[in-house]
Amino acid sequence: MAGATRSDLVVGETTETNAVAIVAIALATVMFALSLAALFELLSISGRLAGVAVPTLLGLILSALGVTVIAFGVGSSLGYVETQPSPSAGFVAAAVFSGLWFTVGGLIASQTLGLGGLTWLPVAALVGGGAFAVTALSREDIGSTLPAGAFCLLTGLVFVTGTIGPTWVWELDFEQQASFTAEFVIPTATLFAALLAGWAAAKAYGGFGARGRHMGAYLLIYLNASSIVGVLFVLVGFTAVKGIPGLVDGARFPFSIPFVMNGVSLFNEFQGVLPAIVGTIWLVVGAVLFAVPLGVGAAIFLTEYAERGRLTQAVEVATNGLWSTPSIVFGLFGFAFLVPRFGGNKSLLSGMLTLGFMLLPLVLITSREAILAVPDEYRDASAALGVSKWQTIRSVVLPAALPGVVTGVILGVGRIAGETAPILLTMTGGTFVPGSQTVDVIGGFEFTGSPPFVANPELLEATTALPFQLYALITAGVGLGDNVSNPEQFQWATALVLLLVVLSFYAIGIGARYYFRRRLQS
Amino acid sequence: MSETTEETKRTGIESDQSVETTSGETDEQVREEWREYAFDGQTKFAVEDLDVYYGDDHALNGVSIEIPENSVTALIGPSGCGKSTFLRCLNRMNDRIRSAEVDGSVRIGGQEIYQEGVNLVELRKRVGMVFQSPNPFPKSIRENVSYGPEKHGDLQTGLLARLLDRSDEAEREQLVERCLRDAALWDEVEDRLDDNALGLSGGQQQRLCIARCLSVDPEVILMDEPASALDPIATSKIEDLIEELSEEYTVVIVTHNMQQAARISDQTAVFLTGGELVEYGDTDQVFENPNSERVEDYITGKFG
Repeated sequence: MAGATRSDLVVGETTETNAVAIVAIALATVMFALSLAALFELLSISGRLAGVAVPTLLGLILSALGVTVIAFGVGSSLGYVETQPSPSAGFVAAAVFSGLWFTVGGLIASQTLGLGGLTWLPVAALVGGGAFAVTALSREDIGSTLPAGAFCLLTGLVFVTGTIGPTWVWELDFEQQASFTAEFVIPTATLFAALLAGWAAAKAYGGFGARGRHMGAYLLIYLNASSIVGVLFVLVGFTAVKGIPGLVDGARFPFSIPFVMNGVSLFNEFQGVLPAIVGTIWLVVGAVLFAVPLGVGAAIFLTEYAERGRLTQAVEVATNGLWSTPSIVFGLFGFAFLVPRFGGNKSLLSGMLTLGFMLLPLVLITSREAILAVPDEYRDASAALGVSKWQTIRSVVLPAALPGVVTGVILGVGRIAGETAPILLTMTGGTFVPGSQTVDVIGGFEFTGSPPFVANPELLEATTALPFQLYALITAGVGLGDNVSNPEQFQWATALVLLLVVLSFYAIGIGARYYFRRRLQS
Repeated sequence: MSETTEETKRTGIESDQSVETTSGETDEQVREEWREYAFDGQTKFAVEDLDVYYGDDHALNGVSIEIPENSVTALIGPSGCGKSTFLRCLNRMNDRIRSAEVDGSVRIGGQEIYQEGVNLVELRKRVGMVFQSPNPFPKSIRENVSYGPEKHGDLQTGLLARLLDRSDEAEREQLVERCLRDAALWDEVEDRLDDNALGLSGGQQQRLCIARCLSVDPEVILMDEPASALDPIATSKIEDLIEELSEEYTVVIVTHNMQQAARISDQTAVFLTGGELVEYGDTDQVFENPNSERVEDYITGKFG
């Protein structure tokens, strides 16, 4: 263990170097957020921020970040900063850095220096190998900061000097027209540089060694998780901002929101999507009523009754296959098989059943997992009391499995509520449906004089649904005419309503799961 | 069938002789001797030549034993020697393991339980079981206790019963109280019968499982290492409880803890590797003066 430094048991209080490291981490995080914003075009590359052109600003910060990181590494290796580095940064870091620098070296050789043919290859290999050697062979403090800091500095300088400016384009000489534009390259390069520099700075903050690696990993995971949440919020926020004007158009609070209370007709002052909302809700309700009893029943049979063997394996393969079947295939099946059997025209019932078929495999798979996860001790305890199998399943196994089953249904509903292709083929009629044609399933039941004595014409009529309406409005451009005065507003408001409907199904599902869990636990 | 029941009515004359037998005999000779072992009281279980196979694995090898009524019988032995398998044969819980094959005869009160037409519901009502790890249902304490009788239709508590004014709410309360008192748990949970059973401590959960077992009014209680997952205080509570229960019930208990077996049991049966029942007799005799050398080695800790 010669040369290995011992970690102190107690790490000293925050020092100036620590403060600098924290600033570097914070800068890297800000850069990460900025690059994401630029990637989603929330921040214009050609614009100015605080009076400085955006690429220049990014370049300046990146350069500063790179210099800081390198300074940390060099300072630590010269002994100015107290750290506990490992002998090497490790193979994975070395591989990542060598790949990165291989690319950088190759690009510089072939594009900036203009070396033709394959002469760029040795240059790239040389640079990549050098990065590998520096990372793997030198001590951890140099190995993990120098390649990262240098990349950060290089990227920053390229931006500052304007080598890659807002109007920069790299035409690839393919037959197809493909090119890298500054709008893509600048944010992406910034993202990478910020990630690497942040990781190196976090390691430096932890004083390298085990604690430093922990800090580095923590930063990467944290940024990853927050960017996932960020994307979700951006998506919902974007839709909401675009959709709210259309949604509240003509609304008089508290109780009049024409967009969700009207259909479309000539005499309406404000047009709305009520028929599509009701159609979507009935569609989901019908599919759930069809798929859940079948799916849960099959899951019970497979887990509790069937011997594990050929049959269960076949069912497993079939359900997995069914789950990954493209939705348009379900739609075609419904169109060719169900529609002719329900009166020959598209109908709500065919739509419900088609989506029910789609939901079935997921309900089956998740219910099976949930039932398998119920401890065998419950079954043993019940059997030891002389209680029959079916009663055990009904009163012990199913209640314990319910939260899992509900989770499956939530996931499935999330998928089918937004499906367009199957209902396009099986259910939907016109795009702009008057409010008077809103489907009324409950009121549609009527008694008849001949078997089966109950009929429901409403189920056998074509209706509309939100995803279909959205598709028709935006993609196919159907009906952009006199009826709707501001089509774009109408489209975004429809999208927002669809999002809200799906989210409310989620809310119902999560509430139900919470209720069943509580019943199991308190 | 009647042969064995009559055999058991003999009283223990020969058992005194077997105590004097010195160790060092072959297992075969020892087995011959303890076969002569006789006890006071009625036989509850008469087991003859019981073999159990899990696929190719011969888990129990020709076990014959008679277990007396209203007493505590301990089954001890090293891991994997078939004690739990034997216990699970006594209420046919082995039926639930698909690969298990049982061959031989088990009679309870003179009736063969390994034959066509045995009513498993009735058998398991008579022969209750408490498992190694406490396994209350994720339901309220009250529901845990009344679960068995409700499912057997002995208690009507559902919505329909309430609407028809046939609800046995009062009987249910009495039953819950009686079983919890018998399991020495009533004082601790009296005020929170509606709380989830999973919120109880491990020892309380195990006593709840015993209460649940008592709720269907069994004759025999089988216990599979009921205290192995519990701390010493909870263990001693369970042990006290077992001694009390043995006045009314026949208790058969599997345990890894030899002190526990010595403390609470009236008879002890020692199983050794290979699924053989090597020695069976009064607990004092088995622990203080075992006939078989292998058993002595096991008890003194030289083996197993």
